[in-house]
Formats: sequence, C-alpha cells, structure tokens
Amino acid sequence: MGGQRAQVIDERGGRPAPPGVAIPAGPPPELVFKRRLRPLQVAHELWAARELVRALAERDLRARYKQAVLGFAWAVLTPLALCAIFTLVFHRAVKIETGAAPYTLFAYVGLIVWQFFSNTMNQGALSLANNLSLLNKVYCPREVFPLATMLVATVDMAIGIGVLGLMFLVFWTAPAATFLWAVPLLLIQFAFTYGIALILSVAVVYLRDVRHLLPIITQMGVFATPVAYPLAKIPHRLQEIYVGLNPLGAVIEGYRKALLYGEAPDGRMTLIAAASSLVFLVGGYLFFKKLETGIADVA
Amino acid sequence: MSRDYPLGTIRTEQVWKRFRADQQRMLLRDRVEQAARRLRGDRGEDWRWALRDINLHIEPGESVGLIGSNGSGKSTLLKMLTRVMYPYAGIIDVRGRIGALIEIRAGIHPDLTGRENIYLFGALLGLKRREVAGRFDDIVEFARLGGAIDRQVKFYSSGMQMRLGFAVAAYLEPHVLLVDEVLAVGDAVFQQRCLDRMREVAEQGTTIVFVSHDLPAVQSICRRGVWLEQGTVRVDAGIKDALAGYRDSIEAQSEATARVGEPLSLLTYEVRGETGEETLHTDEPVTVELTLGGDYRGDATLHLGVSEGTSSPIFQISHEIRMTGGDHRVACVIPRLPLPRGRYTLWAGVYSIGKTDGGTLMSWHSAGQFDVFGPMLDTPPRAVVLAAPVFVPHQWEE
Ligand SMILES: Nc1ncnc2c1ncn2[C@@H]1O[C@H](COP(=O)(O)OP(=O)(O)OP(=O)(O)O)[C@@H](O)[C@H]1O
Ligand SMILES: [Mg+2]
Repeated sequence: MGGQRAQVIDERGGRPAPPGVAIPAGPPPELVFKRRLRPLQVAHELWAARELVRALAERDLRARYKQAVLGFAWAVLTPLALCAIFTLVFHRAVKIETGAAPYTLFAYVGLIVWQFFSNTMNQGALSLANNLSLLNKVYCPREVFPLATMLVATVDMAIGIGVLGLMFLVFWTAPAATFLWAVPLLLIQFAFTYGIALILSVAVVYLRDVRHLLPIITQMGVFATPVAYPLAKIPHRLQEIYVGLNPLGAVIEGYRKALLYGEAPDGRMTLIAAASSLVFLVGGYLFFKKLETGIADVA
Repeated sequence: MSRDYPLGTIRTEQVWKRFRADQQRMLLRDRVEQAARRLRGDRGEDWRWALRDINLHIEPGESVGLIGSNGSGKSTLLKMLTRVMYPYAGIIDVRGRIGALIEIRAGIHPDLTGRENIYLFGALLGLKRREVAGRFDDIVEFARLGGAIDRQVKFYSSGMQMRLGFAVAAYLEPHVLLVDEVLAVGDAVFQQRCLDRMREVAEQGTTIVFVSHDLPAVQSICRRGVWLEQGTVRVDAGIKDALAGYRDSIEAQSEATARVGEPLSLLTYEVRGETGEETLHTDEPVTVELTLGGDYRGDATLHLGVSEGTSSPIFQISHEIRMTGGDHRVACVIPRLPLPRGRYTLWAGVYSIGKTDGGTLMSWHSAGQFDVFGPMLDTPPRAVVLAAPVFVPHQWEE
C-alpha cells in the first residue's frame, strides 16, 4: 500500500529528480572547482581574522604563563642554557673567533633567531592538526593557525631580546648605533619562518608521520645554521647558495654585524636572503592554499 | 561574475562532492607506495560521490528543512555552505554572515572559556568586539549558563555546549543560520526554546537551513523541504509534500523488510469505515479486520497501533486471541475515530502471553497505510511541535 502517492512536483519550478534519471554521470568539466586566489580578498579575510589570531595566541600564552614565574623562565632558560653550553664547547674548546664581541653575546644573538624559528616550526607544523575539530566547523582563513603560533614565538623572542639587553649591561658593551638594520632583517626572518610553518602545517595534516621529522630538523638545524659559529666558517664560494637555501644564516650574521660590530649587514647576502625568504613565503602560501581545500575531507 | 544577490541568499549550482572510498591512512609511507603504484600505471584511486548535481536556490528569509536518511549527504552539504568544505565541482554562493551549528561543539574552542568563545565566534562572523558585547547578555541568558560562562568549554556537558553553540549562532544575527541535527542533546524545554528562537530569527528575515531527523520539529520550523537521497535532491517542495514523500519512502522500506521465520504472520488486513465503505472519516466508526496465519497454537496478545509517519504510535490497543494452528480472523471496531485528516500507518504485533521477552510471535511492524478524511487539525501556536495529533471531539461554550 505504501508509495501510492504520486511523485511530488516542485512548485518552485525546481526539478523532481528520481534517482538515476536526470542526473548525469559526472559534473561538467568546466565547473570543476579550482582554487582562485584574489590577493585583495585574501588580505581582507586575514585582516578580518585578526581577533582570531589574537585569541589563539592568547590561549597558548595564557596556558604557558599561568604560573608567571615558570612560564617566563622557560622562555629564557632554554636559550640561556644552550648559550652556556655553546660558550663552553665552541668558545673554550673549539675556539671560535668572534673579534671584539664577547662570544656569549655572539651566540645568544644567533640563539634568539634560532629559537624563534624552531618554536614556530614545531608548534606551527602541528597547528592545523591540533585544531582539526575547529577547522571542520567554522570557516576562517586557515593560515591564521600557523600565524598565531608565530605570534606566540614572537612574544618569547621579545622576552629573549629583553634578556639580551641585560646581557649588554653585564658585558659592559652597548649595542652598536647600526642596530636599526635589525628591522629589515626581522622582516626577512618573519617571512622565511612563516613560509616554512605554512608548508609544514598543511603537510602534517596529509602526512601524519611528518611530525616525527620535526625533532630531527630541529636538532640538525641548530648546527647547520651559523648559530654557534660565524657565517664565514662556510666556504666562501658556497655562501651564496647556502644563504639562498637558509636565509637565517644571513639574518643572524646581519644582526651580529649591526648589533655587535657596528657595521651594516652585507648587502649582497641580505638581498639573497630577502629574495629567498620571499620565495619561501609566497611559495609556501600558494602550497598551503592549494592543499587547504581538502583539509576538511581528511580531518 | 554573477548577479548581485541580496544578503541571505543561498545558491548552489550543479554542486558535486566526492570522497575517497578507499581507506586512507595519511602516512608518508603509504603515499610513497601509492606513487610507486601510479608509476606502474595503476591509478589506485577510488572515489565515491557524496553529493551529485545539487541545484538549490534559497531566497533570503526562507526556512528550508533538509531531510534524508543517514549518509544521504546532508551534513556534507551544510559543510560546503559554511565553506568549511569545498565542492569537487559547481558553484556555491552564500551571501552574508553565516551562523552554523554543524556539530554539538560547533565553532567552540574547548580550551577557551564560554565567554572567550562567544567573542571568538563573533570575530569569526566578522562582528566587532563592541557589537558582540551588546549581545553578550542575551546569549548568556538564552543559554542559561550562569556561572559556567567563565569555565573552559571542554568541561561543559554536551547539552551545555550545544546551548552555547546555538545561542551564539542564533544571537549574533547571522544572515544565514545553518543547524545540523544537534538539538537532540538539549533537554525538552531547551529544544522548544531553540525552535522558538529559530522561528523568531526566520521572521526577522534570516535564512534558515535546518537538518533533523525529528520530522515534526522540521515541519514546525520550515516552509520548504528538500529531501536528499543518496546524494541527490529527490524532492524540493513545500515542507508537507517533502515530508510526505520521505515518510512514504521510509514506510515502503520498512514494509519491504520481510519478517521470515516467525510463528505468525499477517495475511490480510482491511481498514474500513461505516457501512463498509472505503473512506474513513474523523469521529466516525472504523473497523479494522485482520487475518493471522501460522502454526502456533495457544493464547497470544495482538497489539495494534496507529502512527503518523514513523514516529511513535498515537494510540495503541491490544486484544487476547487464541490461535488454533490455522488462519484466524479478528476484527476491532473503533466507534469514533479520533484522528484528523491525514495519512496514517497501521502497526501490528503478536506476543505470547505471560512472557515479556522472547515471546515474539509476530514482531511489531507497519502493516500499511490508510487515509482519513475530515477536519484539519487546528494549527498550533508558533513553534509548537506537532507530535501526536489526535482529534478530540469538543464543544465550546461561552
Ligand atoms: N570526510 C569524509 N571522508 C569520506 N567520506 C565521507 C566524509 N564525510 C562524509 N563522508 C561520506 O559521505 C556520505 C554523506 O555523509 P553525511 O555526513 O553528509 O551524511 P548525513 O546526511 O549528514 O547523514 P546523517 O543523517 O547520519 O547525519 C556518507 O556516505 C559518508 O560516509
Ligand atoms: Mg549528518
């Protein structure tokens, strides 16, 4: 007796569609979805999401600095401990020559940059994977998640810079007058770091085991980057290629020149680093945006 | 590129969505194997359509109920409307702010407090902090969260999370409100208030898409119904027609499931009105006549029930019978049929006496449908769910 009722016809002029009848086998190829990025729209969306970035960063910071003293200590202790070890090993044992500047300051400048990079990379890489439940329910430009982790790392870096100020007092030297060069170097550092975080964050969503590579990258990176030694230790003819692949090398070297030696950063190296980090940033962003469309499907 | 549709418009054109049908472990080594296979010329990919050729055009202020069986693609469609998920092909255009409650924890960040979540969600909707602050008290009041508002959301009960999620989605004045099967975790009072609120925002011109298996609730909110079946739009019509079509198909399915191997079966049944005529009328006598067949000998209880749709019975009657191993005819007369106009389902089941379990002789199943002619039931006050509509003979005096 069931089903005697006639098929209902849509009064709005839509089509009644019994399964298998009017439905084509596949979509028309010209309608297949392609990711289009309009820079203006992207910028607008990102600006509109600033509250979200702040809230996400605040959540991380609040969790960490709940016990103000310990939280603060963690941000300071890791680079200081590494700094002490580097001073013992590289300064005393290997005898790295740092000219007029005390080795401890020399290493600490490198460590601030490295710490910022490795924090952003490690946390940023997991930022999407850890927030999948949120990603699946609310729309927002997804690049805010790695961005928020970079913001957190920036706060840590600010604390590190405060400690650097104290160290200048301890060593009775003043930062050189050329310290304003740090501003463009900072931009290069941010661009490169964010580019890497973007690539890794989306890679971890699709390839869950990539996260196991992170500690290895971190361990090797601190020695592969001129943190404990000057850039000059890298063979001269390879330096340009090296800086192209790892702009942090030129950035750290630039900071040292500007802050400790009162010189302008090497123009050529800085330009290579700037170009390279721009490629990482734009390339990483496009890669991220391309793969972003499938995140909800695999979550 | 396209026309400028007003805020609150939802348009989908030839939308297709597919998922991987094969199991995917999302590991680097699997990908390497896959790549190796691809090099050998084996595509190794298996896709399944979740949605096929979805064309919808929803005007601002319309309230649309999205119904369909499990896995028919309702949540997938909503996710694509919220832009969380991307279609494989087609055009999706949703104008204005979208408030969505896709799952219980929709848009709720477990580590933040209720208060922080409200501001966060407002920010996601594109509202300024000040604008959210202006509605903050309404939200807390509606969700009845009280002191819990400054607690981390991960310590909320499911119902509290849903309350917060719904209150936020419904009070931050979205142009489009999408609600997926979530109200069920709320208590009865809160569900009713949610439905009320949905009506209210619909009247203020918010477009609503409501997904639920609670068909009476859908009917009380929506004017238009879209019935999805296996990823395609089966019916897109007024809510009554869509629900009727959907219910018919459910019933057809449950009738089709044969009950084999049971001691008794229903051979014939007939529902007839006064003086044997076919049509049934409200408040008039009705006779239900059944023939049971089977080997069983002994006493048993016959249960009959009547439902609208597949919801629980409106009323239910029983009678003791003695089976003698052959066919057995039994008739029941209801002197005044208490049902208003509509289509109903007759249910039947037989159980042996004195046993509460294991004594099933013929399991409870829908025998078939019958139509009743008569007065329409008066429309209930707004947002009251039509759950068990019974016609009660009555007289007014003043
Ligand atoms: N991320 C995913 N990956 C693979 N398949 C998926 C994914 N999400 C949904 N599906 C499949 O798509 C189909 C539609 O799922 P969907 O969640 O939209 O159903 P639904 O209509 O919401 O069902 P319900 O009434 O149970 O909520 C299902 O067959 C489901 O298995
Ligand atoms: Mg669903």
